[in-house]
Amino acid sequence: MSSTTTDTSITSSGDPHPIDDGSGGSGIIDRAYRLLRSVPTGLLWLIVVVWTIPTLGLFVNSFRTRDAQRSTGWWKGLNPFDWTTANYDQIINARQSIGNSLLNSMAIAIPATIIPIAIAAFAAYGFAWIDFRGRKPLFIATVSLLAVPLQVALIPLLQMFNNGASLTLPGLDKTITLIPDFDLAGTTTAVWLTHTGFAMPFAIFLLHNYISALPKDVFEAARIDGAAHFTIFWRLVLPLSIPVLAAFAIFQFLWTWNDFLIANTMIGANVDEQPTTILIANLAGDFGRNENILPAAAFVQAFVPIIVFFSLQRYFVRGLLAGSVKG
Amino acid sequence: METLEDEGIDDVEHVLAEAAGPITTEGRVGTPLSARPFLITTGVAGLAAIVLANVLNGSVAANAIVVVLTLIATAAVTVIAVDRRQNGIREGRFIAIVAVAVAIEALILIWAANQDKVQSTLITVLVAVAGSASIWIGANLLFNQVRNRWKRFSALAFGAVGFLLGVVLHGNQATLGSGGGFLSWLIGPLVGTAVFVALGIVLSQTDDPKMRMIISVGAGAAIGLVIGLLIREQYQPEFDFGAIALWTAIGIVVGVGLSALGKRALVGGALIGGALGWILGAWGGADLGAGNMATSIIATAVPGIALGIRLGMTPNPDYKQRSEIDLRSRSYIFVGPALLFIFIMLVVPGIRTLYLSLLDNDSVDFVGGENYGAIFNDPNSFDVSNWTNMFTSMPFIIGAGFLALALVVGIIMKQRTGHAVELGNPTAAPLIFGLFLLSFGVFTALRGTIINNLWWVVVVTFVSTAMGLAVAVLADGKRGEKYSKSFIFMPMAISLVGASIIWRFVYAARDTSSEQTGVLNALWVGLGRLSTGSGLPTLIGTIVFGLILVGVLMVMARGLVQRNWGRAITFGFVAVLAGWIFLRYTAIIGDGLGGFVITPDGTVEGQTVLFVQEPPYNNFWLMVILIWIQTGFAMVILSAAIKAVPTELIEAAKIDGATDSQVFWRVTLPQIATTIGVVVTTIIVLVMKVYDIVKVITNGQFGTQVLANDMFNQAFQFGNTGQGAALAILIFISVLPVMVYNISRMQKED
Repeated sequence: MSSTTTDTSITSSGDPHPIDDGSGGSGIIDRAYRLLRSVPTGLLWLIVVVWTIPTLGLFVNSFRTRDAQRSTGWWKGLNPFDWTTANYDQIINARQSIGNSLLNSMAIAIPATIIPIAIAAFAAYGFAWIDFRGRKPLFIATVSLLAVPLQVALIPLLQMFNNGASLTLPGLDKTITLIPDFDLAGTTTAVWLTHTGFAMPFAIFLLHNYISALPKDVFEAARIDGAAHFTIFWRLVLPLSIPVLAAFAIFQFLWTWNDFLIANTMIGANVDEQPTTILIANLAGDFGRNENILPAAAFVQAFVPIIVFFSLQRYFVRGLLAGSVKG
Repeated sequence: METLEDEGIDDVEHVLAEAAGPITTEGRVGTPLSARPFLITTGVAGLAAIVLANVLNGSVAANAIVVVLTLIATAAVTVIAVDRRQNGIREGRFIAIVAVAVAIEALILIWAANQDKVQSTLITVLVAVAGSASIWIGANLLFNQVRNRWKRFSALAFGAVGFLLGVVLHGNQATLGSGGGFLSWLIGPLVGTAVFVALGIVLSQTDDPKMRMIISVGAGAAIGLVIGLLIREQYQPEFDFGAIALWTAIGIVVGVGLSALGKRALVGGALIGGALGWILGAWGGADLGAGNMATSIIATAVPGIALGIRLGMTPNPDYKQRSEIDLRSRSYIFVGPALLFIFIMLVVPGIRTLYLSLLDNDSVDFVGGENYGAIFNDPNSFDVSNWTNMFTSMPFIIGAGFLALALVVGIIMKQRTGHAVELGNPTAAPLIFGLFLLSFGVFTALRGTIINNLWWVVVVTFVSTAMGLAVAVLADGKRGEKYSKSFIFMPMAISLVGASIIWRFVYAARDTSSEQTGVLNALWVGLGRLSTGSGLPTLIGTIVFGLILVGVLMVMARGLVQRNWGRAITFGFVAVLAGWIFLRYTAIIGDGLGGFVITPDGTVEGQTVLFVQEPPYNNFWLMVILIWIQTGFAMVILSAAIKAVPTELIEAAKIDGATDSQVFWRVTLPQIATTIGVVVTTIIVLVMKVYDIVKVITNGQFGTQVLANDMFNQAFQFGNTGQGAALAILIFISVLPVMVYNISRMQKED
C-alpha cells in the first residue's frame, strides 16, 4: 500500500456517488453533509459484515450441541466456553466417515491438478513458440471451447467410463473397440480424467498468455546455442513459468475440490469413492436427521480450500486476472 | 494470512505485468530453480519412505524412518535453497514456511504409509504420471536424433513400430506361440522390434532409389507373409471380396483426400489408405476362423506390399528435410496430448450428445426434434400461459412508470446536453431501476425451467457485477481495503454445495411458537414485533428509520440545490423507498413492517418467510447464494481494472474541472468497459451451468428447477437419455452467443 497509484486513486475514483468537497459552506445542511461523507466507508464495512455472517453462523453452530442448535440462533451461542466438539467426533466416527471422503477428494483434486498442468504447459509452449501450419486456427478453436458447458459431454463420458467406446462401421459386422472398458465406472479416476479434459482449454489459454509473453531473445539465444525445443521447454520455460503454473494449480485445485456435478455424475451412489461435496450434499438431503452434524461437515469440507485460498490468495487472484483482464 | 493486497495487488502494474508475463528474466531464473531441488528431494524422500514403511509393514520403526528421512532430506535442501535465495524473499519467512511444510508432510506421510486406500491411489497416479511422462520424454528424445543421427533415429523409430505391432498381434494372442506366460508374450514384441530395427538400419544406409524400393517392398511382402502364416487358425478370415473392395476404395479416397489437403504425393496417400482399408475390410467383414492360411496371407501380404511401396518411394531425407521433420514432430509432441484430451473428453462427447438428443430415451429410435419439442411443450419447463398477469403485477407497473419517467427525462436531457442517456446523468437511474423492475414483473408472471434460467442469468449477472463494482469503488484506497476485499472474496473458495448449506441455515424458518434459528427470519419476525409493539425499542426504531429518511432527503435536496440532477433523481428513488419503509414501520400506512400476522381476534402473532418454499420469490433467494459468491469475483477483477486506469487521464479530467462523480462516470467507467464485458460474460456462462445450489436446496421443487439440474435428473436419475441430451444441447446453445463474442474478441486482439 505504498505505491503512488494508490494515493492518487483515493481522490480519483472515489465512491459511486462521490460527494464534492463539503467544506464550501457552513450552513446546517453543509455541516450535516460532511457527516454523511463517512457513509460510504460505513456501507463498505456493512457489506463486509453481511458477507461474513453466513459463514460465521455455520462456524459457531458447528460447535453447538444438537439441542442448542435447534432451540436458539447461533448468535446466542457465541461463548466459546460452552462449545463442544461432539459434532466433529460424530462425523469422524460415522459409518461413512468424513476422513474417507476427504481422502477421495484428495485422490481427485491432486491428479486433476498436476496432470492438466503438465499437458497444458506442453501445448501452451507449442502454440506459443513452435511454428506449424494451422497453429492459429487450432489455438482459437481450443480456447473457444473455454465456455462450453460441461453438461454437453457428461452423458457420453459416463457411457464411456461404463462400457468403453466402440465404433461400428457400415459394411462390416464387427464393432471396433476404440477405448476398452477399463472398469472406471464409479471411481475417482473417472472423475479426475474428466476434470483433466475439461480443464484443458482454460489451462492452455492461461499458460499461453504467459508463455507467449516471455522475452524472445532468451529463446533465440538458446536456439543459437543449439538447444532443441525439448531442452528450451525443460530448462527455460518451465522454471520461468512457475508463477503462472502456481496460479493455475491453485485455481484448478479449488475447482476440483469443490466440484459436485462431475463427481456426482461419475461416482453417484458409490459410497466408498464419494468426495466431501457429495457427502455433505447427502447429509443435507437427509431431511433434518443429521442437521446437527451438517455445519461441522460443511466446515471441514470448506476448511481445505479456505486455507489454500488465504495462504496463496495472491497466486489465485493473479490467475483470475490473467484470465480476465488480459482477456 | 496473506491478504489481497499483500505484496502488491494494489500495485496493479506489477500484478498485471506478472500475469501477462515477465518483462525481464533477471532474478527470475534464480528463484524458481531453488524451489525445484526442494520439491524433488522431498517428493523422492517421501515416496521412498512410503515404500520403505510398506516393506517394514507399517510398524512404529517404519514411521520413525519416514519422519527422519523426510526431515533430513528437506532440511538439507532447505539450506541449499535458502543459500540460493539470498536476494529473494525474506529468509526467516522462507525457513518458517519450509519447516511447517516439512512437519505437515511428515505427519501426512506417517498416516499415508498405513492406509491401503492412499497407497492404491498413489500408485494409480504414479503409474499415470510416470507412464505418460516417459512416453512424452521418450518421444522428444527420439526426435532429438533426427537432425544429426538419422541412422539411429531410423532404427529406433522402426523398432518402436515393430514393438507395437508385436504387442498388438502377439499380446492379443492372435499369433502362434503366444499365451504361455510373460516370456512367450515377450517373444512377439522382441522379434518385431529386431526385424524392424534391421529394416530401419538397412534403409537408412541405402540411398539408391531402386535398391530402396526393392528392399522395402521385399520386406513388406515378407513381413506380411510371415504374419499371415503365423495367424492362429481361429482368426484366419474368410475372403469377403465385397467388404475388402468397399473399404479399400474408401481408404484410397480418404488417403488421396488427405494427401491433397497436405499437398503431398497422391499415390502415397492412396497406398496407405488402401492398405489400411484392405486390412479393415479383410478382417472386419469376414467370419473369423472360417478361412485358411491362404486367405490370411492375402489379407496381410497385400497391405504389406502396398506399405512397402510407399516406404520405398521416399528417399532418405537430406539435412534440410531432417530439420523439417525435427521441427514438425515437435508440434505434434507438444500440442498433441492436449488436443487428444480435448478431442476425447470434449469434442467427441459433445457431438455424441447432439446425436443422442435426436434419439429416443433408450437411444434406439431416431425421433428427430421430438426431445426439443417436449421441452418447450412441457408446462414445467416453459409456461407462458399467465403472461397477461404481468400487466397487473406491481413491479411491472412501477417499472413501466420509471421507464416513462426515463423517457421524459431523456427527451429533456437530449435537448439540453445532446445526449439522451449517459452514465451518471438523470436518465440512467430511472432507466436501470425501471428495466430491473420491469423484467422482475415479466419473470414473476411466467413459469418454468427455461424462464427460471433466464431470470438467473439476468439477476445474478446484473447484481453480482453491480455489487462487485460498488465494493471495488467503495474500498478503493480506503483504510483496511485489503481486509474488506478479502472477506468479500472469501466465498469464492467455498464450494457451491458448502455455500448452499451455509445459506440453508440463514434461510431456516421455524414454527413461530419457538425461537427463530435462521438469521433472516429472526430479523424479520423481530422487526414485526418491534413495529407492532410499543415502548422504547419501537421508538428507537422509529428514530433510526426517520434519520435514514432525513439523510437521504438531505442528499437529494443538496443535489437539487447544486443542480446535480443525476444525484438528485437517484436519491429521490432511494428517498421514496426509505419513506415507504418509514411509513410502514410507524403504521401510518398499513399495520406495520416485518414478519407478523394479525389474527381474527386482534392479537399479533409472528409470521416467518418461507424463503425456500414460496414461489416465485424463492428463486430469488437461491440466486442470492450465487450472488454472494460471484460478487467477490467481479470485485477482484474490476478493482484491478479501476486501479489500472492511467492516472494522467484522471488528472487531466480534474484539471478540466470535472467533479469526482463525472470522473467516475465519464473517465473510469468507459476505461473499464471491456473488463466489465469480460466479467459479465464469465458470469453468464457460469450461471447457465448452475446446478449445485438448486440440487442441494430444493432439487427443483417449489418451482425452482433450472436447466442444468433438470438435465442431470433426466439423464442420470430417470434414465431419459434423449431428453437429458436435448437439455444439455439447449444449455450449450444458450451460451453460444457468449462463445462467439469471446472468439471475435480474441481474434481482434491478435
